[in-house]
This record gives sequence, structure tokens and C-alpha cells, in this order.
Amino acid sequence: MKEEETSLEEALDDLEQIVELLEEGKMSLEESLELYEKGMKLAGLCQSRLESAEKRIECLTGELPPDLI
Amino acid sequence: MSDGKNVLVYGDISVYRPQGRVQLVARGIKQDEGLGFRHLQLEALKERLAAEGLFAPERKRALPRYPESIGIVTSPQGAALRDVLRTLGSYPARIVLSPAMVQGEGAEKSIAAALLALRGRSDLIIVCRGGGSTEDLWCFNSEIVARAIFACDAPVISAVGHETDVTVADYVADARAATPTAAAKMAVPDLEELEEALRYTKVRMMRALWTCLERAEDRLDHMQRALAARRMYALARDSRQRLDYLSQRLDGAQAGRLDRHRSRLELLAGRLGAVGPRATLLRGYAIARSGKSLIIKAADVLPGEEIELVLGRGSLLCRVLECRENEEVLL
Repeated sequence: MKEEETSLEEALDDLEQIVELLEEGKMSLEESLELYEKGMKLAGLCQSRLESAEKRIECLTGELPPDLI
Repeated sequence: MSDGKNVLVYGDISVYRPQGRVQLVARGIKQDEGLGFRHLQLEALKERLAAEGLFAPERKRALPRYPESIGIVTSPQGAALRDVLRTLGSYPARIVLSPAMVQGEGAEKSIAAALLALRGRSDLIIVCRGGGSTEDLWCFNSEIVARAIFACDAPVISAVGHETDVTVADYVADARAATPTAAAKMAVPDLEELEEALRYTKVRMMRALWTCLERAEDRLDHMQRALAARRMYALARDSRQRLDYLSQRLDGAQAGRLDRHRSRLELLAGRLGAVGPRATLLRGYAIARSGKSLIIKAADVLPGEEIELVLGRGSLLCRVLECRENEEVLL
């Protein structure tokens, strides 16, 4: 919620928009290339985000049961 | 039956006016752990909350597609929490456990407090507990829990008990799941599907770029061809001009050369005339021929033979009268 970085949802939405723009194919080659690179970077970002599988559990009160840590 | 038991009685109530007495004629009596009364209370509560609009479908919030932070209200010891965590799997969301007692004395307040404690900390809340007796699940039928769910600042998924158990919490929540596992499935997208979609997105981008490249290539090709055609025309025009120019020059040169040849020819003819036999013949000499060969000596012919004398102008056909071989002729 209070993430500084862009959220996964925003990144995925941006990505979808980029793909649609690219598929429309109304841009110049340079613009397309630029957009493609941006899209690939974004896709990589999302992917690494999905793969950052470390569990981040916090407990508001008391201790987490040891089997969950 | 014993004193102090809660019972459910079915029957008729009648009033005996003269004595001002009310009579209950029981037709049936059933032992009841107070559930009958509580069910009545529950129905009243549901009615009240529904009238206030707490169950209204239009106020239910949509669940976030990709939650960043998931709050879980349940018992830290319960199997429900483990089911939820297992099902959330490696989905990359922060998980905030807000512990609550989910049965027994004080459970209602504990759940309500745990829900409120998540304010500002998550964008999706799962409130859950595993299956149990109606009594065990009863705390989820309380008004305080219902109002706490309603007051949450994030959408709430409620998953209490099993498929068949529906509590007030389920009515108020933004979404109801049959079990804690189902709630977790509802909360996050399938990670594998998401990764697959991401891969497909990459393929789509590559394909789109490829198409773009091909289009640019086609355009380039087209322009190159147009350019080549234009250059060819220009080249042809240049060549034609050059050809015209050359042929003009050639014509001029030929005419000059012809003149030169002609005058040279005349000159040569003149010189040839000077050295040839004609000029000599014109001075009075003659050429004697027999057939095709020249007659140099008198012995070249026989008397009576016909010979030809070629003069400066014309020729004579003669017959030899005599051959004087030894005679010297003085000229």
C-alpha cells in the first residue's frame, strides 16, 4: 500500500498498454524500438517481482508461531 | 428435564378472561442450548444490519487484482492460517497477521479489534477460521464483528467454517469464501498463470516489433526501388543526350573527311595521270599488243598476225607485213 516503487498492478497495466500500442503499429520504428525496450524492461521487472518469493510475514501483536517463520 | 434448562415449547396460548389468566397449552417441548433464542436474536440482527445497508451488494468493494499487502485475521495457532499461507504460496505480497481469538469468551471483541488494527496496513483482508460447531462459529454472527468488517478500509474476504456455514460476517464481507483455502485462492492471482501471461506479453512485444521492422523494411525496399527507377530514367536521359551529341559530331566529322578524301582523290588522280602511260601516248607514242600481252620485240609476232596499236586517243587493228628483227630504229 505504501510502496515507494510502482506496484505490480501499475507495472502490469503499463505493460499491457505498451503492448497494445506496439501492436497498433502506428509509431515510427524508433518510437517502437524505444517502447519495446521499455516494455521488456518492465516485463523483466514484473518477472523478478513475481520471483522474489521470500515470505514477508509480520505479526501485529505477539510473536509469530515458530512454524511460520 | 431439570430446572434451569432452556427449552423450546410449541403450543397454543389462550386467555381466560374471568380470571385474567393466560394459558399455554404445550403440544411439544424440546431441550435447547439457548440456540433458539440466539437464532431469533440473529435473525433480528440480520434484519437490522440489512436495513442499515450493511449487506447491500452495491456497497461491496472489488478485490484488488494484485494485492501488495494482505491482512489476515485469525488464530495464529489455527489450521486456517496455515491453509491460507500455503495457498498464497510464493505470491509476492506482504502478509500482515493480526492475531485474534476465534472462539470462546471474548472472541468477538478480539476479532473486531484485530480487524481494526489492520487499518492502513493492507489492501486486502482475509478473516477466517476453520470448521467447528455452530457454537464455535457463533462469534462471527456478532454485531461488533459485523460492524468491524464494515469499517475496514480494505476489502474483506470472509471464510468461516465450511461450505454450509454462513455467518453474519459472510454477509457483511465484500466477498465470501467457502473455506480459508478458497479465500486465499480468491485473494491472489495464480502465479503460474501470471508468469505465463508475462511470457506471452514478451512474445507479443517481439512480434509487434518484428512486424514494425518488416513494415519499415518494406518501405525502404519500395523507396529503394523507386529511387533506382528514377536513377535509371536519369541515366537513360543522359545517355541519350550524349548519344545525340556524339552522332552530331560524327556526322560533322564524316562530312569533313569525305571532302578531304575527295580533294585528295583528285590530287592523286592528277599525279597518277602524270606518271601513267596515257600522257606518253598523247605525246605520240603507241603501245603494241597482241591479245593481252605487250609486243616488245619484232620477234614477238609473226608476219600476217593481227596486232593492236593503242594510241593517245583510240586504237588501230593492224596486220603485220614483215618482222625486221635486226633493224635499229632511230627515234
